[in-house]
Amino acid sequence: MLRIGHYLNQFFAGIGAEAHANYPPEVREGPLGPGRAVDGLVKGNGRVVSTLICGDNFFNEYPDDARRAVQDWLATVGPDLVLAGPAFAAGRYGSACAEVCRLAEAAHIPAVTGLHPENPGLLLYKRAYAVPTGNSAAGMGPALAAMVALAKKRVAGTLGPAAQDGYLPRGIRRPGARETTGADRAVAMLAAKLAGRPFQTEIPVDKYDAVPPAPPVADMRHATLALVTTGGIVPKGNPDRIKRCSENRWCEYDLTGLDALSSDAYECVHGGFFNLPACQNPHLVVPLDAMRRLEREGAFGQLCNVLCSTVGNDQRLADCQRHGQEIGRLLRRREVAGALLVAT
Amino acid sequence: MVVVSALPPLAMQAGANRVVQGVKIEHVCGDPALSPSADQALRRRLVVAALRALETPVVEPRLFRVSDGGEGDA
Repeated sequence: MLRIGHYLNQFFAGIGAEAHANYPPEVREGPLGPGRAVDGLVKGNGRVVSTLICGDNFFNEYPDDARRAVQDWLATVGPDLVLAGPAFAAGRYGSACAEVCRLAEAAHIPAVTGLHPENPGLLLYKRAYAVPTGNSAAGMGPALAAMVALAKKRVAGTLGPAAQDGYLPRGIRRPGARETTGADRAVAMLAAKLAGRPFQTEIPVDKYDAVPPAPPVADMRHATLALVTTGGIVPKGNPDRIKRCSENRWCEYDLTGLDALSSDAYECVHGGFFNLPACQNPHLVVPLDAMRRLEREGAFGQLCNVLCSTVGNDQRLADCQRHGQEIGRLLRRREVAGALLVAT
Repeated sequence: MVVVSALPPLAMQAGANRVVQGVKIEHVCGDPALSPSADQALRRRLVVAALRALETPVVEPRLFRVSDGGEGDA
């Protein structure tokens, strides 16, 4: 009988939403929330014996405490298998799930999670066994079914390559024989590419580019600096209707003559964290007050009077890259020497 | 470009070359639990650290921390 340990964040454990993201680690007996569906999927072969809950902010902001809590849980419960999430596209939750998987594997306990292919959790632990999911918890049923199926194969020792068994590539290539030589396969791939037919690369390139560092700002006293944010600070009323999640645009807002971003005139529309503090004081995300003071004191030349703002919550990588290029072009036109990007 | 983030490991893994440690996810550039003047002082130190980062040559992702206090520290 497979004893399963399940990791959940504060939301799926039923504690609360973003306002409770600081919830400290807690162990509960048996399944919670989606864990009950897992029990149904493994009936007869296993059961969820314990659930570890932790708030998404807590896990990421206190990594040592979180790590200790996971290790204590694994040692005390001694599960045969760990399931984490699924976290879908949630970045903090996905990071936590990836870390839970890493710690389980380090303790020789197989672990499986479910993540959107662009979940940043995969950056932190590339070797996670993760089934691909969409970006919405509406896909919970299929995600859990896929996680359980993957877990069963791992436990049985019958797991094949990622493409074959439907999990996200872990960056491991094993030597083997193919039917045709490399030269033949390369020519076939090129012919397909030239003809506009689909082809499958044998070595995928990482989506996150390594960008060479820009040289330092040479003359800060005369430099124009700019403020950019993915934290969703926008004029109150959100005139451009920037979305709380999955936004594919960014907007420019005029800072001419503004020394401060008051809560009467600005708000935070980011849907990925508890944004009430940022609504009450937008400077907690865009530090305009400090920048203006330092500008007046001559710490740098001048502040570019454009705030570039978007909501980075569940933003597709391709859109992030395009935004970076477009914002970069705008800042170049404004002869900006350096920029502060405040991310949340 | 300097990124100010409450989760620097994520920013650095994604390739950000200059990263300043922000305060918390919900308030990256300050602390609403502090008095307004202390919050502003914290924010100023954070921006000063960001300016120092912009002036520092780096060869790979590097974390810059905010000083505990003292004008001009970074």
